[in-house]
Amino acid sequence: MRYWRVTLLVLAALILPRQLDAHEATLGVLEFREVRPGAFVGRWTMEPSIGAARVDLRVPPHCFLRLPEMNCGEKGLVGPITITNLGADMSAVLIKVIPIGGEPRSYTISSANPVVSLLGTSDPTLQTWVELARTYVNYGIDHILLGADHLLFVLGLIWIVGGGWRLVKTITAFTVGHSASLAAAAFGLIGVPERPLNACIALSIVFVGVEIVKQQRGEAGLTARYPWAVAFTFGLVHGIGFASALAGLGLERRLLPAALLFFNVGVEIGQLAFVLLVLALIWAHRRLDAVLPRWGDALPAYAIGSVSMFWFFGRLLRVLAAT
Amino acid sequence: MTGNGRTMSSRVVSSRAVPGLLVAMAALVLAQPAFAHEQVAVGGGLVRGLLHPLTGMDHLIAMVAVGIWGAQLGAPAIWVLPITFPMVMAVGGVLGVLRIPLPVPEVVIALSALVLGAAVAMRLRLPFAAAAVVVAVFAVFHGHAHGAELPGSANPLAYGVGFVVATGLLHLCGIMIGTLTRWPAGERLIQGLGVVIAALGCYFLAQSLGAAA
Amino acid sequence: MNFRLARVWIAAAMLFARVEAADAHIIAARLGDFYTGALHPLTDLQDLILWAAMGVLAGSLGAAKGRWLVLVFPLGLLAGLVLGRVFGVVSAGPAADAGMILVLGLLLAAAARVPATLLCAIAFGLALMRGAANAGDLGPETDRLLFAAGLACAGYAAITLTMALTLTFRRLDGGPAVAWRGIAIRAVGGWIAAIGLMMMGFALAT
Repeated sequence: MRYWRVTLLVLAALILPRQLDAHEATLGVLEFREVRPGAFVGRWTMEPSIGAARVDLRVPPHCFLRLPEMNCGEKGLVGPITITNLGADMSAVLIKVIPIGGEPRSYTISSANPVVSLLGTSDPTLQTWVELARTYVNYGIDHILLGADHLLFVLGLIWIVGGGWRLVKTITAFTVGHSASLAAAAFGLIGVPERPLNACIALSIVFVGVEIVKQQRGEAGLTARYPWAVAFTFGLVHGIGFASALAGLGLERRLLPAALLFFNVGVEIGQLAFVLLVLALIWAHRRLDAVLPRWGDALPAYAIGSVSMFWFFGRLLRVLAAT
Repeated sequence: MTGNGRTMSSRVVSSRAVPGLLVAMAALVLAQPAFAHEQVAVGGGLVRGLLHPLTGMDHLIAMVAVGIWGAQLGAPAIWVLPITFPMVMAVGGVLGVLRIPLPVPEVVIALSALVLGAAVAMRLRLPFAAAAVVVAVFAVFHGHAHGAELPGSANPLAYGVGFVVATGLLHLCGIMIGTLTRWPAGERLIQGLGVVIAALGCYFLAQSLGAAA
Repeated sequence: MNFRLARVWIAAAMLFARVEAADAHIIAARLGDFYTGALHPLTDLQDLILWAAMGVLAGSLGAAKGRWLVLVFPLGLLAGLVLGRVFGVVSAGPAADAGMILVLGLLLAAAARVPATLLCAIAFGLALMRGAANAGDLGPETDRLLFAAGLACAGYAAITLTMALTLTFRRLDGGPAVAWRGIAIRAVGGWIAAIGLMMMGFALAT
């Protein structure tokens, strides 16, 4: 058994994730200065290398854009701004909005975040809130659905706890944990460097994998006895991870609590959908009597364990590379 | 062991409602980006297919009458009907798609409403084979009328799905109404309905004959 | 009872909601290639009908025969994807798809006792066809591995859930098999066969 693990670890270390090329940033800066309420004058203060004319800029549908003019009417500059042709030759565009009375704000559009949502230059209206909710709920859903590590952790929890009340309590504890730390991190109460944190998240999944194996051997592990405690603790860690996704969005401080709330709601929706999908599949497998043969009992645990170990080493290497 | 059994059963119970919820969630999440596109006019085709059998009054009453009559005849008609009718109708549909003309389709469709309505009103108890032949002939004509519309649809598959589902649901309505025959008052009501359908059939027949003349 | 009915209705509602949902390209921009692969077949009515028909057929035959599809179907999808990608085998054409719909519908309407091996063969053939058809829509920038994983996961989840739902509806094992439920499933088979027949006619006409 021990050899197996060693082999797995060596394998994982060998197929390390490819490091991303550090591409030379080909940046553009576009400035919108409000001249009348809802009317802007836009100009490129720094033109991207492909030329300003070739940037495919899309503004909210109610805005009329013909550079250097942009008119958004009464609604104001509210809604998504996106650039569809970001790529290797244009990696990011900084959008600077200077309202008539107020502080200028900057938003970054990059291939990682191809859409930014602007929330108007004046005081928030109902439409601002709706827009904010739409944007951040979706953002939360996307984040959790793309966060394979978070999902794998939840899968492990379901595997150990099974269904019923215990699962509801465990998932709730995980939710409370990550909501608390997400809020704390977003308000700057705690700050954890991203890379070690990601390694920690990977390690938390390894822990769950080990616990599954323990459970299958008939030992009552920590998770089997106090699932909610484990879920809460690791929820704290995962929550800080969510916060790093929220950072760097150019959010105003006054809108931060609401954005945080909506983001969290989105994360919960995605998480709930995932939990329900897994439960439905477990139910379907029971119904079909399609379960793994006895020799395959340990397979899922080892799959979870080795994938997360693979991540852990990859992320650890990035920590070491950074120092 | 008993304890284990209990946790197992509680798990099963708790996960019983799961698929429905899950599906609703998925639909909610996935419907999100729906507004942004019009891909292959699936929705439009589906709606058109669904509405086509529902908007033609002559089709609609004939389909409901088929269901009621099937229910009146009882087994085996009541269960053979919903299974085979769509297929026979599809044969007519294929003829329509291939543009193979049938003689006086309008007249036959109006006639079908008249005949089926009369059969329901008179509680006509034909032998199963005879009833099947009558219904099958009408099914082909109805299918032909729907099928002729199919190639012109933006998404033929969606149109086909829509019209088969709509027809099936109309039958279901008819069969549900037909189960009222268990009570004497319901029987009377159904016969009245049959008279109404037959009368409407008469009207459509006169109309189509007038148009033909 | 209420729960089950509700489930069926919700499933039907989802079918329609799904049909409207999601252009593959928007999904790709939003959630990446895994979800593109997973949602691509669900945006295609052809796939939706064929997969559902396959799942209902397997489910109506009972757990002992159906459970093999949990593995066979996604593997077939992967094989089809590879065939389509590597050897350039494209979709077998609308007539083949329509024929498949017709065959599945007829088997279902006739309540045929299909043996397990034949069922697996049909499922694998169907998956092969649909996998290849999905490969035809792979873009040049799509990550093929992620797309394939997404497609296989979607196939696995869809077929497993459909089979289990059908089995529960039919109550083949556990609970008495109620006659009208069997007829309802056969009627659905009749509908599917009708759709297949018409699409066949349409494919031959054009």
